[in-house]
Amino acid sequence: MLGKLLKYELKATGRTLLPIYAALLISAAVTKFISLFSGSGDNIPTFISAFLYILILVGMFVMTFVVMIQRFNRNLLSDEGYLMFTLPVETWKHIVSKLLIAIFWNVASFVVTFASIIVMTYDEIFVEGLWPQIARGLTELALVLGPDSCLVILEIILGSIACMVFGTLIIYASIALGHLSNRHRTMASLGAFLGLTAFAQILFACLTLIPNVRVLQHYMDTLQESLQTSIALFHYVMWFTIGFFAFLSVGYFLITNHILSKRLNLE
Amino acid sequence: MNAILECKGLTKSFGSKKALSDVNLTIERGQIVGLLGPNGSGKTTLIKLANALLTPTSGEIRIAGMKPGIDTKKIVSYLPERNYLNDWMRVHDIIGLFRDFYVDFKPEKAYDMLKRLNINAGDKLKTMSKGTKEKVQLILVMSREAELYLLDEPIGGVDPAARDYILETIISNYNPNATVIISTHLIADVEKVLDHAIFIRDGQVVLSSSVDAIREQGKSVDGLFREVFRC
Repeated sequence: MLGKLLKYELKATGRTLLPIYAALLISAAVTKFISLFSGSGDNIPTFISAFLYILILVGMFVMTFVVMIQRFNRNLLSDEGYLMFTLPVETWKHIVSKLLIAIFWNVASFVVTFASIIVMTYDEIFVEGLWPQIARGLTELALVLGPDSCLVILEIILGSIACMVFGTLIIYASIALGHLSNRHRTMASLGAFLGLTAFAQILFACLTLIPNVRVLQHYMDTLQESLQTSIALFHYVMWFTIGFFAFLSVGYFLITNHILSKRLNLE
Repeated sequence: MNAILECKGLTKSFGSKKALSDVNLTIERGQIVGLLGPNGSGKTTLIKLANALLTPTSGEIRIAGMKPGIDTKKIVSYLPERNYLNDWMRVHDIIGLFRDFYVDFKPEKAYDMLKRLNINAGDKLKTMSKGTKEKVQLILVMSREAELYLLDEPIGGVDPAARDYILETIISNYNPNATVIISTHLIADVEKVLDHAIFIRDGQVVLSSSVDAIREQGKSVDGLFREVFRC
């Protein structure tokens, strides 16, 4: 059933986001095309086209965010919820399917942004020899990090995913908490969002101030500013952040699941 | 066999307002039941509680002996009083969705009914009138071979000719072991198909009786309703 939910979720969201991705790539290509032919003379067309590109880029990230909220709020908690919640599917599967697809589009938006940058700068990268420089830079970085390179990449990927999951679930939990209110559900959701954010910040502050001060002191004392210290510190900070986001994400997921399965009251 | 629907002390409040108050009710299998009452009497609330779209304030409701949940959703086919279809989908997309999620859904039945009502399966729901959308929803709901059909105002928004077809569809599409609960205030229209009538007023059940018993008193359901709910 989760697979089927994912399929419908992908369809429902793709129809909004895929045209925006196409528009971004086309506008990147047009910008490149105009700049190639306008030469050093008249720059106004290039400027307008680049401005449009940036507008679409900003619009794309805004829409990725809006679609994430809308799919949860409208598909589950408005009239469409009458269908979704009468399907013989466990509530957690609804939440997980929406979460996974939201993460997928977040990642896709970054990939498309990256692709559009390549479209606009392909000649600099491939023709004018920027690529070997980039490759050299990456090799040097790998040398510095040594055997830790893979671990660092893994930490960055996991950290980004944990951050996205956290960001999505805090919104789901806020909407679900707002749903508990009999009226003014949107205002209640906003209030819940502020509350949950404040809670996360206070918890983060408590956790970082108390035990971490000692850990950081320990690093400073033992290996004064050596490269190893920096790398070890980086690992420590990354795993701490991943763990923190994962811990809160589980909490927010449980809140959302509890409310939608035990306290549902569709208007 | 246990009762298909059972309520014990079922109460639902919205803030300080009680939409249902201490409802005790048992509905046996294999009949067409009219859930009858004026607007705002608690009909929709009761049906939504049976579908787990609302959570009871106190008391309990059971479908085939089970609390509303994933197992009851498999055997309940529900027509809400509002449009729950995504506007951007086409009719055959929705049919696909029902086929994907409900084991008891019969697509050929749905296509057959669409044809009879001259609805094109390739049409987008966005372009359809409110009445046509209601027909599509009813077709979807009646194309399942469920144990319990909960139909909330199934004839409210359609013309009298379509009303007859819909009632005919309801009678001809359900098997003798299934139960159909129709909530409506248009009693004269549904009277002829009912086996059992439940009157509900201000969140309380004021009468639960077989239609035969009402007729034995020399009354019609419609007549009795007008008597009970006289303003």
